[in-house]
Amino acid sequence: MELSDSVLLHLRDVVDRPDLDGTRYTLEEEIGRGGLGVVYAALDTRLDRRVALKVMDAEWAGEARLIARLEHPGIVPVHDSGALPDGRVYYAMKLVAGTRADHYIAGDPPLAERLRVVHRVGEALAYAHSCGVLHRDLKPQNVMVGAFGEVYVMDWGVEGVAGTPAFRAPETQLDQRSDIYALGACLRFALPPGAPPALIAIAGKAMSREPAFRYPAVTEVLREIERFQDGVAVEAYAESPWQRIRRFAKRNEVLLWLLAAYAGVKFILFFARRL
Amino acid sequence: MWDDADTAIGGNRDRFPSTQVSLIEAAAGEPLALERVVALYWKPVYKFIRFKFRKDNEAAKDLTQSFFASALERDFFQRFDPSKAGFRTYLRLAVERFAANRHEAENRQKRGGGVEFANLDEQASGTESPEDIYFQEWRRQLFALAIEDLRAACLEAGKHTEWAVFEAYDLAEGDRPDYAELARRHGVAQTSVTNYLSWARRRLRAMVTARLRGVTSGEGEFRDEMRRLWS
Repeated sequence: MELSDSVLLHLRDVVDRPDLDGTRYTLEEEIGRGGLGVVYAALDTRLDRRVALKVMDAEWAGEARLIARLEHPGIVPVHDSGALPDGRVYYAMKLVAGTRADHYIAGDPPLAERLRVVHRVGEALAYAHSCGVLHRDLKPQNVMVGAFGEVYVMDWGVEGVAGTPAFRAPETQLDQRSDIYALGACLRFALPPGAPPALIAIAGKAMSREPAFRYPAVTEVLREIERFQDGVAVEAYAESPWQRIRRFAKRNEVLLWLLAAYAGVKFILFFARRL
Repeated sequence: MWDDADTAIGGNRDRFPSTQVSLIEAAAGEPLALERVVALYWKPVYKFIRFKFRKDNEAAKDLTQSFFASALERDFFQRFDPSKAGFRTYLRLAVERFAANRHEAENRQKRGGGVEFANLDEQASGTESPEDIYFQEWRRQLFALAIEDLRAACLEAGKHTEWAVFEAYDLAEGDRPDYAELARRHGVAQTSVTNYLSWARRRLRAMVTARLRGVTSGEGEFRDEMRRLWS
């Protein structure tokens, strides 16, 4: 049999397109493809609202149940799940209007904003870990930044997900520290050229090849980022005395200015009295 | 109806049922599993050789045949390591090495006669690499085999009308007939045409999936290939 390009294109389209007859959804358009399936925009005809409908490549009803358990502002809520006539599983979730984090970072936001996005990702990840759920494929492409600054972590993984090479931990047996590696890789990705060495060190520690050398929990990564933001020394980076002085000066800038002003006034008064 | 003289050596695909056999079985020398791998890969390998090494039809056929014969003799499947690459890539790299060695040997024999380039009147455009062509032919062949599976299943189950509607609509070249026309032609209600097409497409998807499972080493590779197949 020789299939022409046009017939093949048609077949790929009609055979892969989910048959939503008998469901409450009508298909609109494809909006993305991930490691586990295809995401479509669809209309929920019962509630008259647009949703994101994720259709899985295989029969993994578990993923929807897994994600439905997670209730966090940084995790897209699942509304519903079901099975297509061909056996594929789908689930409906909130349709997020926003920008993928890798595109968002490409727009060159300030360092503080980059850190805010990574921190929000870490908060969602820490929460999932507390529920016993791993992401398994965390990367900027799986993070959405909404129009009002909200940050959503998408594409929560299931067993067997290989991950994406640049963000994947080297070990084959994945656990929470593998997600910490990916979070470190996300932080590294989010940093601009010439980023402070302390932040590079935090990312580097999270991305240690040996899991035991990484942070023991996502919350520890978050605390390190917060320490940097507060101008406190981070554990991952041994700074020189000069760097310590500079950091101290920057952190206590107002106080130092006040002290300097006070000393200046005292100095002037001292000489004024002697005149 | 779809005979392709160039690659008829690939075998009669009707012999292959849509049962799931795996690469593991191919590695163990299971004939059905091996035949399924060869049925899927014969044509992509042939096209890859034609375009990569600019061989004419007969030379490419000979080289393809030699490659598979050699692969079966030399524990090719047993040496496949899924942790290093997917099977499709592994096979392409093996073909490349095999054909390059033969190609060099032939050129040495010509002793200054230069390389003879064949006229390539294939459908590939000038911008496509041999690797792209290999993938496209692999995808084309996977669908072709699954369609043959679907046809066999339809005929076996007495679903002649379902097959006829699917063939007339989804396999049509150029303008497709509308559903009303198909309903008239086959003496069924228009809703039946919709149902027949939905059924056939579901079955075809299942058969593509089954074929793909038979030539991948595990869930991870299967998912990667599924993603590439439909994207």
